[in-house]
This record gives sequence, structure tokens and C-alpha cells, in this order.
Amino acid sequence: MILGLVTVLVLLGLFAALAQRRPGRPHRTALRTGWRQLRPLLLRLPLALLAAAFLITLLPQEAVVAYLGESSGWQGVLLASLFGGLLPGGPAVSFPLVLVLIDEGAGTAQLIALLTAWSVLAFHRVAAHELPTLGARYTLARLLASAPLPIVAGALAGALVRFTAAGI
Amino acid sequence: MTLFFLALASAAGGAVYALQGPEAVAAAAGRAGGLLLRVAPIVVAAVLISGYAQALMPRETVQRWLGTGSGLRGLSLATAAGALTPGGPFAAFPLVVALLGAGAAFEVCVAFITAWSVLGLNRVIVYEIPFLGVHFVALRLLASLPLPFIAALLARPVGRWLRLGP
Repeated sequence: MILGLVTVLVLLGLFAALAQRRPGRPHRTALRTGWRQLRPLLLRLPLALLAAAFLITLLPQEAVVAYLGESSGWQGVLLASLFGGLLPGGPAVSFPLVLVLIDEGAGTAQLIALLTAWSVLAFHRVAAHELPTLGARYTLARLLASAPLPIVAGALAGALVRFTAAGI
Repeated sequence: MTLFFLALASAAGGAVYALQGPEAVAAAAGRAGGLLLRVAPIVVAAVLISGYAQALMPRETVQRWLGTGSGLRGLSLATAAGALTPGGPFAAFPLVVALLGAGAAFEVCVAFITAWSVLGLNRVIVYEIPFLGVHFVALRLLASLPLPFIAALLARPVGRWLRLGP
């Protein structure tokens, strides 16, 4: 996590330097956009982390391993896809939840299916952004075309895990 | 959304209190607080990077890249553009509307939005690697690389079936 913070800070410095060389020096625009994204998180992130901690306390570790663990197979991938599609919130809220699931013993293929479903199906994002901007028919068409993707990604990830585990 | 998490946290917290007592509530809250302290600096830096990325790479640039090209070259270009497009849904969906309006094919837009959501480099670098580690992220990206193309292939018959424009 320290390494992660260092990466992010280096990247931020790089972007700020790039902006400094641009004619308009768009620091102010960047700060305003960033603040607009941060504001809703100030309350939401602590609440989401708290909710996740409580839910994990209620959910026994054996259940996570049994339903989403490495050996849960395609049923686990399917369950993870459903869960991922329903998981609300942006990356700042979702990745900490996934981190908790990793700690509790969820499998890699299952987590990749979950993250894929969260990113392509994300029902909250569909309702909040996609329906209002694209309209119902285009949204429906995109969702239908994307529905199999989490399972494809989970299956591919499972195959890759087995492939690398076999040491080839 | 905030209300949803408030309700969820209260309900789950109440259930923990009823089933396992106040010590379990305190332990879980402590865990959440610890994670918050580790995550908060990354999140603050992340939204600033996202702000800079959007300021440096405006919507018009991406739009000019995509144009109306379809076929494998168009899909590859759309996938690359989607992976490089910074910013959240506020930025991405208006871009798709603009592309459709400019005459881009529906499957190209599907490839773009799928790549933006599963391959988005902004999110990978800023959130995913710090939280989940390089190994996991590399595996996920490798497994996700074909997805924009698969979605675009499926989008063509679905679009025809729903009688979306040409």
C-alpha cells in the first residue's frame, strides 16, 4: 500500500508538471474536477468501509471460501458476476471491498468476474448516467452485448491461473 | 448512494451488535478506521490525477481519433481510446453520445465503452495497482483484453434486433 501511495504521488507530480507546461496552466480546472469527484466520497467512503467491515463480521470466512473461493468453480464465477453487477459505488468504494474479500479467501478468477461485472454492468451507473445520456434502447443493447463478459473474463482468468500455476 | 451506505452500515452494525455484542462492533469499526487511514491518501491523490487527466486530454481529442471507422482497425482504435480515456461516467457517456451523433457505428461505441470500463488505464494505475497489486492486475487485464471485441461482435446482431440506426 505504501508502494501504491508512492506510485500515485509520482504520477500526480508528473501530471502537474505536464499541466505547468501547457499554455493555459490548467491547475485550477484540474483541482475543480478533482474536488467535484472527492466531495461525495467524504461521507460515502467511511460509510462504505464501515458497512463492509460489519458485513464481513456477519459473514463467516468459511462462507466466502465456500461460495467465492478458488475451488468454487464456475458457480463461484456466476455468483461473483451477479454480486459485482449489483455492487454500487465507484472505484474508491469498490476496491476496498474487494480487498476485504481477498483477505477472506475469495478466488482470483471469481474476483476478476466480480470486478468485470462491476465495471461493465454496474446497475447504479446505468441508472445514474447511461440511461439519461444514451436512452433506453441503446442502453439495453449495450447491456445485452455485455452480459456474458464477466463470465468470459472469469473463465479466462481461471485458465490463466491454472496455466501459470502449472509452471509453463 | 450515500444514504444507501448509511442504511447498509446501520443495518449491518445493528445486526452485529445484536448477534455478537458491542465488542464485535468496536472491532469491526476499528478495522474500517484502519483501512480508511490507509486508503484516504490514495483516494485524494487519485481524484486529483483524474482531474489533471481530464484537463489535459479533452473530449474533442478522443472524438477526433475515433471518427466513423469500423472493422478490426476501428475496433482496435476504439479499444485503445477507451482504455486511455480518463475520468468517470460523467466524461465517458457524453462522449459516446457525441460519437453516435457524429456517425460512429454502434459496435464501435460498445467497444469503446467496454474498453473504458474494463481496461481504463486511469483507474488501473490510480486505484487498482495500489489496492490489489501488480500481479492480480496484470492477470485481470490479460483476461479482459478480448472483452471489447467480444462485446462489439455481440453488439452487431443485438443492435440489428433492436433496430438501432445503421
